[in-house]
Amino acid sequence: MKDIKQAVIFFSFYLKVYWKALSLGAILTIMATYFQVTAPVYMGKSLTELARFLTTWMNPMTRSTASKEHFYTALLMLLAFYIANAIAMFLSSMLISKVSSEATGQMRHGLFGKLQKMTIKYFDSHQDGKILSLFTSDLDNIFNAMNQAIFSLFSNLALWIGVIIVMFQQNTKLAWVTVISTPVAILFAWFVIKKARTAIDQQQDAVGRLNGFVNEQINGEKVIITNGLQAQSLHQFTDYNKDVRQTTLKGQIYSGLLFPLMQGMSLINLAVVIFFGSWLVLNDGMDKAVGLGLVATFVSFSQQYYQPITQITSIYNMLQLAITGARRLSEVHQQDEEIESENTENLPYIQDKVTLKNIHFSYNPGKEILHDVTIEVKKGEMVALVGPTGSGKTTVMNLLNRFYDVDAGQVLFDNQDIRHVSLQSLRDHVGIVLQDAVLFSGTIAENIKFGQPTIDDQAMIEAAKQAHIHDFISSLPDGYQTKISDENSVFSTGQKQLMSIARTILTNPDLLILDEATSNVDTVTENRIQKAMDNVIAGRTSFVIAHRLKTILNADKIVVLRDGQVIESGTHHELLEKEGFYAELYHNQMVFE
Amino acid sequence: MHILKRHIKTYRLDIFFAVISVMVMAGATLLQPRLLQEILKAIMASDQDTVNQYGIALIAVACVGLIGGILNTIFAARVAQGIAADLREEAYQKVQSFSLSNIEKFSTGHLVVRLTNDVWQVQSLIMMSLQSLARIPILFIGAFILAITTLPKLWWVMILMIVCIILASQILFKRMGKYFGRVQKLIDRINTIAKENLQGIRVVKSFNQENNQQQKFDHDSDNLTQLNTTIGYLFSAMFPGFMLIANLAITVAIYFVSLGVASHPQDLAAIPAFVTYLMQVLFAIMIGGMISTFASRGLVALRRIGEVLQTTPDLIDEDVNDMTIKGDIAFEDVSFQYPESNDTTLKNISFNIKPGEMVGIVGATGSGKTTLAQLIGRLYDPTHGNVLIDQVNLKNISQESLRRGISYVLQRVILFSGTIAENLRQGKQDATLTEMQNAADIAQASEFINRYDDQFEHLISERSANLSGGQKQRLSIARGVIGQPKILILDDSTSALDARSEKLVQDALATHLKDTTTIVIAEKISSVRHADRILVLDNGRLVGNGPHETLLKESAVYREIFETQRAKEI
Repeated sequence: MKDIKQAVIFFSFYLKVYWKALSLGAILTIMATYFQVTAPVYMGKSLTELARFLTTWMNPMTRSTASKEHFYTALLMLLAFYIANAIAMFLSSMLISKVSSEATGQMRHGLFGKLQKMTIKYFDSHQDGKILSLFTSDLDNIFNAMNQAIFSLFSNLALWIGVIIVMFQQNTKLAWVTVISTPVAILFAWFVIKKARTAIDQQQDAVGRLNGFVNEQINGEKVIITNGLQAQSLHQFTDYNKDVRQTTLKGQIYSGLLFPLMQGMSLINLAVVIFFGSWLVLNDGMDKAVGLGLVATFVSFSQQYYQPITQITSIYNMLQLAITGARRLSEVHQQDEEIESENTENLPYIQDKVTLKNIHFSYNPGKEILHDVTIEVKKGEMVALVGPTGSGKTTVMNLLNRFYDVDAGQVLFDNQDIRHVSLQSLRDHVGIVLQDAVLFSGTIAENIKFGQPTIDDQAMIEAAKQAHIHDFISSLPDGYQTKISDENSVFSTGQKQLMSIARTILTNPDLLILDEATSNVDTVTENRIQKAMDNVIAGRTSFVIAHRLKTILNADKIVVLRDGQVIESGTHHELLEKEGFYAELYHNQMVFE
Repeated sequence: MHILKRHIKTYRLDIFFAVISVMVMAGATLLQPRLLQEILKAIMASDQDTVNQYGIALIAVACVGLIGGILNTIFAARVAQGIAADLREEAYQKVQSFSLSNIEKFSTGHLVVRLTNDVWQVQSLIMMSLQSLARIPILFIGAFILAITTLPKLWWVMILMIVCIILASQILFKRMGKYFGRVQKLIDRINTIAKENLQGIRVVKSFNQENNQQQKFDHDSDNLTQLNTTIGYLFSAMFPGFMLIANLAITVAIYFVSLGVASHPQDLAAIPAFVTYLMQVLFAIMIGGMISTFASRGLVALRRIGEVLQTTPDLIDEDVNDMTIKGDIAFEDVSFQYPESNDTTLKNISFNIKPGEMVGIVGATGSGKTTLAQLIGRLYDPTHGNVLIDQVNLKNISQESLRRGISYVLQRVILFSGTIAENLRQGKQDATLTEMQNAADIAQASEFINRYDDQFEHLISERSANLSGGQKQRLSIARGVIGQPKILILDDSTSALDARSEKLVQDALATHLKDTTTIVIAEKISSVRHADRILVLDNGRLVGNGPHETLLKESAVYREIFETQRAKEI
């Protein structure tokens, strides 16, 4: 119920701007329904008139008065109603298509916009795949539901009510006969749907387990082959498959049953209507010509009456998916956005130093990651952060760029707390180079100019040269206009790092945060990365999460983090003399990660 | 299609009943208007008895139709799931007979899709075929013929309607097909932008590029909206259009009946039947069109499964012997090229390794280290030259013997969800607890395993998410040594261990598996500098072969690697 409420709020938010189109659509739908349910009446009438004509004509006494005039009128009316129905249906359907696709477009726009505003915390705590499925599956489900279910629920309901009204107008007794089986049909449908849902759930579970197994086994096929485990694997597979066999049979039967069942019910109902209708004509003293038309009319009615009932089930499934989708999207829209404090100022250039002052921080309440950390970097100097995995190095970077806010303490640029400057100006001042370089699909030029889309090519090439990637780019047939994408990357891992360095150089950040990559690259690229790093660091205030010893040796200050605390800091020589944790790391020849 | 032939045979009885029942169902649908016609005639003649007779027949026929429909669903489901499960099993069995290069040719991701999604598509196809595919032609042809026999004069109305509908749908579908292609492309683009923005959210934010990214996204998104609207308009035209064509046909039919009604009064009673048949023809065409799009997807899936089934495993045991491997390895002028590649990965490599030796292999990324190791266990056959174990060509040793004697610890650790014990037993199926403990000791894994209350029964979750990189590697090493192999290949298997643990593993191997030929592939020279010998690979060529000190003096390549690493680490 809560889901439905949420879905209603969600849809009304996006649909309210279309109220005019929707009202018009509703009116057109009602009109179409009216034409549709009235058409059979004229069909009946034309048959009746034709029968009357025939009777008059057959009788030699009245033959001369026989006229088809009434028949023609009825036939023309029938034609008019058919055409009017088609036009109204076409127009309402067009309106609905337009509203559906535009509203979905708005939802897509809104979702993407929301993602851009949310805190990094959301992205760190949700899998990319799950978020992406909002675009790929949830929006799709909503679009399909709007196109085929939500509005068609309305038109089916209109049709259903319309048919009932017209039927009772035409002939009460026959109308009762037509609708009498409805509770039985609904009961059947409800029973089958219920059974089908349980069966399908079980089926999906079994299929999920099987798919998981197959996925794991085939991805681990190397282990299976090198250990000769094929027979064992096949044996396990057969067990899973047996499960799937049993559950699928039930699932397929129940879910497949609904259509023939409803179709069959419709057929039986039609038979009953025809039978009773003819009986009525002969026993109720009705005019035969009228009776003939009546039966023909109710043949159409009975079919039209059952159509919404048959369709309601497929509509039901689509609605279910749309409600789930709406709930997921609403949940995203309820997420926190990055806080922009009031009366924010622009951040001036660093005069003296950047300080992390007595910082406490936790990603999840109660699990503090940084305990009273204080780090200072003087203008133009480079601080190397070292320490084992999980010591809190990456967290320091998250705080400097205000991806997260501190629990206690302050991040200060000179004496300015970063929470009091605008996010935009903070991030304009701070440049980052991530450990895993992320590039975007587009041209190489677009990627280097990512932070400065309007800058001229001369500056771009200069940045690429400093990052030691210019020669490689020039060697490509399309040079800087080479298109790159995830699947079609011209770059090796090492070259991607160079690209991301070039991108950062171009924005000329005041403060640089650089997370050194750990991946193994060939010797030549290794040297290039080293030089590029030297170039980007030179003369800048910078924090480097360091893994290479050479970088550490170059640092003006080394800060050693362990378990969220600064345990040592100083120059290489000072730290070695201390013979503490750093000295041990150094002497054990460990990789600094 | 011939992939299904054998399976169709297995279920021929069920298929038979499914087809019979669907024919009954279609027959009932077709018979109804005809009975209606008879009843209307009887009404005109005021013949109560006939009305009653036909009325009861009408209800009976409808009931038979309903029962036919239910039975059809049951039989169709039995056939569909049965064939699908059999097909899946057959394909899985086939995959398990594949060599590594067979699998790589398909790529694991594609293989998984074929075994899961594609089989599912085939199942839907079979289900649909038995439920509808048989019904649609029967209904179409039946309704068509019956309509014409109902009002023979008006045959041309039927033909005209069918032609009009087919023409209209041709025009519509042709335009739609073009749009659908473009929609798919736009959706792909939109998803790519979304995906990249998720992966690169830190980059986007730190470069203040939120607005530009939104503009880029909106550009494609708005185009998609436009296109969706256009397609929606076409769809809007479709249903009312088809209905209108049919309804016009009905009106025309009634008009022409009226013209001759004086001489053919019985035609009047035939109109409702004719109308119903006409509608049945219309729906048969519409549903048929819908099904054919589904069916084409199912057929593609079937063909893809067929590709798996028709692949011949490319490492086959012929003329092989079982033997107990001692651990002597020889490469004789071996070259190797991956099937899909243009470059030779290994070039004319020859060397000997004596039983019990520990040999390191070093070289830059892509120099062919892993490939070389994989040839030892015959994961691939060399393109040129021979690999010998105990002086016997690998091709003459049974796979069984090789798997027993040679053990791999892979570069990328693969553990399966299940208990630690289950994973270790993959290395030796009947391993006792003591053997597991010993293996864990060697791999320096005992320490963390003992911290679990349930020790070896501790569950490893999917993708080993509950283990750290180092723990995974230790378990992988334990699995590799548990069977006391004669040849042990460690492919960069200690990269996630700290220097101390790495040393401990090496020492344990040296004492517990001292008769085992051990081959250590390493990125770091420090991992192999104490090996008996080191093979140096450069671009697929063997450029050095000797102990550390000798290589330092004699091999320029080795010296260069050593220097860069020294600069990197000390």
